[in-house]
Amino acid sequence: MLNIVCVCHNGMGTSMLLKINVNNICMENGISASVEACSHGEAAGFLMNADIVLTSPEIVEMLPPTDAVILQTTNMLDKATVTELLVNCVKEHFPNEM
Amino acid sequence: MSYILDLLLNQIFTQPFLLLAIVVFIGYVAMKQTVSKALIGAFKASIGIIVMGIGSSALSTNFGHLLTALRNATGLQGAGLNTYSTMTAGFEKMDAVLGEGVGTTWGLYTLLVAFIFNLILVALRKWTKIRAVYLTGNAMIVQCGITVYIVWRFLGTGMIPTILISAVLTALYWGIFSTLLIKPAKVITGGADLTVAHQQMFMDFVAYKVAPKIGDPQKDDIEKKKLPSSLNFLQDSILATLLCMIIATAVIMLVIGGDGIDALRGADGFNQAAYKNTIIFMLWIAITLTADLWVLLAGVRMFVGELMMSFKGISEKLLPGAVAGVDCAALYGFAPKSVVLGFLCGALGQIVGVIILIVTGSPIVLIPSFIPLFFDGATVGIFANKFGGWKALVVLCFCTGLIQIFGSALAVAMLDLTWWQGVSDYATIWVAITAVLKGIGALLGIPVAG
Repeated sequence: MLNIVCVCHNGMGTSMLLKINVNNICMENGISASVEACSHGEAAGFLMNADIVLTSPEIVEMLPPTDAVILQTTNMLDKATVTELLVNCVKEHFPNEM
Repeated sequence: MSYILDLLLNQIFTQPFLLLAIVVFIGYVAMKQTVSKALIGAFKASIGIIVMGIGSSALSTNFGHLLTALRNATGLQGAGLNTYSTMTAGFEKMDAVLGEGVGTTWGLYTLLVAFIFNLILVALRKWTKIRAVYLTGNAMIVQCGITVYIVWRFLGTGMIPTILISAVLTALYWGIFSTLLIKPAKVITGGADLTVAHQQMFMDFVAYKVAPKIGDPQKDDIEKKKLPSSLNFLQDSILATLLCMIIATAVIMLVIGGDGIDALRGADGFNQAAYKNTIIFMLWIAITLTADLWVLLAGVRMFVGELMMSFKGISEKLLPGAVAGVDCAALYGFAPKSVVLGFLCGALGQIVGVIILIVTGSPIVLIPSFIPLFFDGATVGIFANKFGGWKALVVLCFCTGLIQIFGSALAVAMLDLTWWQGVSDYATIWVAITAVLKGIGALLGIPVAG
């Protein structure tokens, strides 16, 4: 089971829609994952157990230090882009989870 | 039979925590999810509603102490600017007259009906020209909640008419303004099929239209220039909220003086005699208020996350060709420098606005906070820069800040709340709608409720 965290500015809107997309992507591709959404200001707690972080490039430098794999895209709500990023990442770093 | 009717009408469908659970459960089942997933989602939504209530009541008690102290010392009416606490402040006023949980219940029903109206308006897009489905659940629930309060306050209507009128108003607002932004949003994202569905859509549209007259987007594009990253800490939502609270508390303490602070420490205030040192007491108040707001937000996030899943799934299934109206922050990755500069110029506008309120002797003072400060300035900034460069951004974001303050002061004067949205649609369009509803109520001789 992978822990995926979606991060935006307030953890309410964009990261929430992203979380819904990621849940669907995981289901469609047979990835077992638990997905959370949060703001970068409160990310420290969420990132402790995270395997993958999904966010936008301008937020990356504001994230607390983490061992998780960070995936970034300017268009967080484009499902095709996120699917490609996520599936490739899981294949490369977590091949047992698919 | 009457027992079952009473159970359904008074103990299930009017209890927000159960009502929401049922809606979420149906949503999951309609999306062909497993029953166990549906149950987990339903329970999480229930918990979210209760968490929101806990944050809301703690916030209104604690913030109330501060506002009362200010009023006792100066006669000024204070109000904070934040979206989520405005919704719950309206709910609390309705509950005080209509009974516990009624405000939230009406708000939730309005959300469901308005969403259906939104879908219908888009389904009839050949005639209505409305093409965007509004999917920003966190803004939707706030907007429905506040509309219900405004309609109920001035028209004094019962449950069903209040819900229907509120839903029509809100659905038209969603549809018209998010559709207006489809074209400029496409330019900003380089062709992505989405539009902004948030709470500063009117000012975004103004920026899109006015910015080309102020500057040259090719020559003055801020995205091609360098900005220092030392201002990043201001984008931390929790820290920025705390900063606003510290400044507000410190200013209020300076105004109310030593006796006022002692009263604030006493049993009629925060009841915290142990904090003898005023600076520590000030920090404690500011941190407590920030924490209360965070709890409120965490609750909203918990149930909105569950609701949005169904909304998104249902609209994609029924209206596959519609444009998705999403959170304004979805654009931020495309123009990160406009976000920072827009935020700063908007904040400056708000600060100048508050100073003008105080200097001109306005009976209402406002306390800015993160959500209206950050999301309005940043989003208007993106539209202004894209279509007019950084000079247009500076002018338009500063003006947005001013408008937010003056418009919100008008709204607080009409609505008598301790919080107001602060976001610019609610300092422009919705001030006008409120004034119209108030006028209709007065014409018909309806007494103002709550």
